[in-house]
Amino acid sequence: VVPGETALAFYKAKNPTDKPIIGISTYNVIPFEAGQYFNKIQCFCFEEQRLNPQEEVDMPVFFYIDPEFAEDPKMAKVDLITLSYTFFEAKEGQKLPLPGYQ
Amino acid sequence: MSTAMNFGSKSFKPRPPDKGAFPLDHFGECSAFKERFMECLRDSGYESGACRQRAMAYLECRMERQVQLMANEPLEKLGFKDLIDEKSEAKPEK
Repeated sequence: VVPGETALAFYKAKNPTDKPIIGISTYNVIPFEAGQYFNKIQCFCFEEQRLNPQEEVDMPVFFYIDPEFAEDPKMAKVDLITLSYTFFEAKEGQKLPLPGYQ
Repeated sequence: MSTAMNFGSKSFKPRPPDKGAFPLDHFGECSAFKERFMECLRDSGYESGACRQRAMAYLECRMERQVQLMANEPLEKLGFKDLIDEKSEAKPEK
């Protein structure tokens, strides 16, 4: 991936149970300091997503790394950025702590 | 310090996506486009830049569904301007 260039990545999720699950996911970026350069244009995260029994779906993320990443001396040794998602089962009334997002 | 341990007040603040969430493609309407994109990635040794045409095709698929899986957005604004310009140079009359 080149900083500044938009890129597409896919994750896959499966609901192995026989009941529909409503989930919501949040993400993490490692190394921590690279997180500020990671810009998501669109993804499957933050909103509730319903997975039917046994359903398996592709989950796309469309993103770019801020070009300023290449100018940051602290990032000079970073050549691998790992993006991970955690899928939580959404409970009624549960909201992820995201000030200002609705 | 390049350790990933975060003591003190610095915590990771997730930011929502610029254009919101993708609806799930429950019926796999764009799976074929996704497969073609993944095939390209594997063949290119996971070089994202080599597969932008197919990434663009995947997003176009999402936009073109009867029940949209992605809001219409000019592809130039999604970082594909150079690919669009190439396309229109190749076909002068549309």
